[in-house]
Amino acid sequence: MKRTKAPHARKSAGNAPARFKVGDRVRVKDLPNMFYSRTQMYARGVSGTIAACTYQDLIPEDEAFNQEGRLEQYYIVRFRQKDLWEEYPSEKDTLQTEFPDRWLEPA
Amino acid sequence: MSQRSELRQQYEIIGSLQPAIHTPQNWNYEIPSALYRAYMHPPHDVGGQRDVPVHYEEKEEEQWELNTYVTCEVLAWRGVWNAEERRRRADNDLGYTLYLGMPYYGRWIWAAARMLVDKNHISLTELLEKIAEVKSRYEAH
Amino acid sequence: MQTTHQHAGGGHEHKAAPTVEEITDFEVLEIAVRELAIEHGLFTAEDHRRFTEWAESIGPAAGSRLVAKAWTDPAFKARLLADGTAACKEIGIDWAEPTGFGTPSDYMNFRVLEDTPTLHHVIVCTLCSCYPRPLLGMSPEWYRSTNYRRRLVRWPREVLAEFGLILPPEVEIRVEDSNQKCRFIVLPVRPSGTENWTEEQLAAIVTRDCMIGVALPRPGRTADVHPVHKARHPVHSSPSMRAAE
Ligand SMILES: [Fe+2]
Repeated sequence: MKRTKAPHARKSAGNAPARFKVGDRVRVKDLPNMFYSRTQMYARGVSGTIAACTYQDLIPEDEAFNQEGRLEQYYIVRFRQKDLWEEYPSEKDTLQTEFPDRWLEPA
Repeated sequence: MSQRSELRQQYEIIGSLQPAIHTPQNWNYEIPSALYRAYMHPPHDVGGQRDVPVHYEEKEEEQWELNTYVTCEVLAWRGVWNAEERRRRADNDLGYTLYLGMPYYGRWIWAAARMLVDKNHISLTELLEKIAEVKSRYEAH
Repeated sequence: MQTTHQHAGGGHEHKAAPTVEEITDFEVLEIAVRELAIEHGLFTAEDHRRFTEWAESIGPAAGSRLVAKAWTDPAFKARLLADGTAACKEIGIDWAEPTGFGTPSDYMNFRVLEDTPTLHHVIVCTLCSCYPRPLLGMSPEWYRSTNYRRRLVRWPREVLAEFGLILPPEVEIRVEDSNQKCRFIVLPVRPSGTENWTEEQLAAIVTRDCMIGVALPRPGRTADVHPVHKARHPVHSSPSMRAAE
């Protein structure tokens, strides 16, 4: 068999340091869309709170094209539903989803 | 039309009828920025789009669907692609018509075929001849 | 392609063994791609067989056991919430299977979302269908549908009500959009009326839907009931279409 390397064993161009910690307020960047993204449009430009620092991995924009990039810290971010959808009826409800470091900026 | 089940099927079809506005697109010298952004939107990013209530169905798995899942995973296990590339090819690169129109695993196997050709593991002619051969093999049974 | 929107409720019955004319376009394409990949040495028939064996061994029973153990063993629950992937090994689920580094699509970042009397979690992947296969098996078709993915993040109370789950306004609903490499299950609140139950009894009421978060466990509720769309050539029904046999 020619290929036996695990996808996660691929070499990367190093690690980027984690810029955020649990409890930090962050805003999701609104970069242009082209070809591929795992940063949902509904979260773009919206602020939330870091709920967890999860793992370091390649970012989807590199991995989806089989490119070696640097590993980045991923975070679970918690949003108020009301911040995502203006007409959302409850103040209480929340939504969590995950982003790599470069998609976030301090809020 | 007497069966309740037929009535329910009619409701399902009626519920999915939507008005369509077709505008001529012969001379696309320029398009508005909003339209460009809509074209660039990744088709797989559907969260928050409106839709109507439906019956949430289970589906018994077809043999070809299990085989497709395994083929796609084993291709990644052996480093031919990775899961993220598979998602990009099967969910974004097809365009809306195929993305919304093809079966779930139909998109997976189509994306695997396209990837094998794109990366020159097989030629398109080889794929087409193989498809024809498999078809005739089963028809000849 | 079959006619639009056939339902099990519509009464079409299970087809018997396939006849040759019935081979579909996707069945042909699947066989073609698999055979070409093997002929070109991209993987072996044995690789395919081994992965198939693993895929057929997974299912929601593992998740049910995990939840039942967390309900009865506080120390295990603490370990599970701290490191889900490691705690799974205690019930015999190794996320590194079947390749040694996990499946290519499920990764090894498993997290448990703990419900409380005032917090309810529900899981979706709006971008595709990310799902904790090693613990729950293959995702149900509705979970992969654009309909569920479109609506759950924005109208969760309406969608949950359609599943028969109506939650009072004082309960916070937290949607987890599983969009990257973490995989999740919901750890529901242990229902009253289950005091002194064994782990096995408890596991029986922890159905797949409870672990996705579209249902709540309760005594007597041991199955998720949905309309079932039958397969034309279900797994194992068609020896000639099985790989490597
Ligand atoms: Fe997904």
